[in-house]
Amino acid sequence: MTTIHTARSLPDNDNVPENPYAWSIEMNPGKPWFMSKGAMIAFYGQVQFQAVRARGLSGALMHMVANQFSSPLYAQDWVVAEGHGKLVIGDRGFDLNSYDLEDGNLTIKASNLLAFDNGLSLNQSIVPGFVTLVGTGRFLASSSGEVMFAEPPLRVDPEALLGWADCPSPSHHYDAGWMQGFLGGAMAMFGASSGEERQFDFTGAGTILIQSSEAVRSDRDIVQTIEGQLGLVGTGGLQKLQTSIQQRLSQQSQ
Amino acid sequence: MTFEKVNSKVVKVNLSQSGNVLARKGAMLFYSGDVRFVPANAGGAAAGGGMPSMGGIAGMAGRSMAGENVVMMAASGQGEVHYGRAGLHVTIVQLTGGTLVVEASRLLAHTANLQSSVVSLSSGGSGGGGLRGMIRGAVTGQGMFTTQLSGQGSAVLLSHGGTIELPVRPGGGTVVDPQAYVGHTGNVRVDMSANVGWREAVGRGAGEAIQLKLDGEGVVYVQASEQKL
Repeated sequence: MTTIHTARSLPDNDNVPENPYAWSIEMNPGKPWFMSKGAMIAFYGQVQFQAVRARGLSGALMHMVANQFSSPLYAQDWVVAEGHGKLVIGDRGFDLNSYDLEDGNLTIKASNLLAFDNGLSLNQSIVPGFVTLVGTGRFLASSSGEVMFAEPPLRVDPEALLGWADCPSPSHHYDAGWMQGFLGGAMAMFGASSGEERQFDFTGAGTILIQSSEAVRSDRDIVQTIEGQLGLVGTGGLQKLQTSIQQRLSQQSQ
Repeated sequence: MTFEKVNSKVVKVNLSQSGNVLARKGAMLFYSGDVRFVPANAGGAAAGGGMPSMGGIAGMAGRSMAGENVVMMAASGQGEVHYGRAGLHVTIVQLTGGTLVVEASRLLAHTANLQSSVVSLSSGGSGGGGLRGMIRGAVTGQGMFTTQLSGQGSAVLLSHGGTIELPVRPGGGTVVDPQAYVGHTGNVRVDMSANVGWREAVGRGAGEAIQLKLDGEGVVYVQASEQKL
């Protein structure tokens, strides 16, 4: 039997009943949410969406955005939702979960972060493709399959890593056998593309969030990271990049 | 249990209990402890060093010669490894001396004590295994060859949305859509039943013209989806 939801029957802040892939947020005036573009699938009531990078942001909203959204790299992918009603979000059929932070900080893969309330602020992580949320509030994130929680010491395939909290940022770990091959010049034999050869190494105390690797691998974050760092590259470097990009393109079109 | 299901899409394995494990490259999600990964088909064992003899290696080399582009990585050492792939569902199959036949693209991992070889799915069936296998490959988008595992150990299958197990009995007439077929265990003969025209051979058919007929004694694993891998 299919339940037909109304604004009243939708939960205030929970999964849509019997559906792990959709989440309902209660919107209240004066309590705006940051939302990833495209995460909204339906809403009831009066909700306005304004791009984080919009020129027409009102004074108070502009102040909030400038203070709490400290990432020019991701600004174009986010909107601010404000109003009252119920907002339903979803992402690629992934499982959705909400997380509460209390005066904490948590780093999460940017492409899996869907929404966060105005108690949290977003910062770009040193690790490419990840953002750090700081403060007290709630955020919503998607995962391919259930989220697994683990404690360090641990090594994680970068593709499967969803995020981490309360532990130092990871370092790269290269499998010893792979390094031997690399140092011996035999790297081309099996490449360096898989999680078995390169992992993120976590040490110290904290919690690591892991998902089954993504069904569709989006390179949006990588592209944005490279774009964001182009300003650091001089003319010679840019020409070198152009040459290697051209080579890759002509290889792929063959 | 060697492999243990963590959730519907992830398995974990303790290498001290299971011995070495072969898994598809890129399927490792995370691990703790002292674990090394060595490609099981390239000459990588030399670079990694110290990899004990494993039945799987010869089979994997055979497959890479057959053009099946699936690289397996051997994990050895002490520790716990989690495996998963592309958000697909996992099914653990225990083998106690029998055989498991599975699409190379649908095998996530298996213990190294299983013997692995490459077979043509329709071999042993009535004639023309190679040609039919080729047509089947063209129709389903899957490989022409499948992996056969035998011995004592366990393996993990991949599927879209999970597998259902259908019994195969002598003369029972179990028929499966090739795209829904994941693998089978037991003493089972697989036959293509087909009105194969050129339409199917070039992959433009409706999909129902070709079916897999299974006969014998065993179990066939089927996914409730026609999604290719």
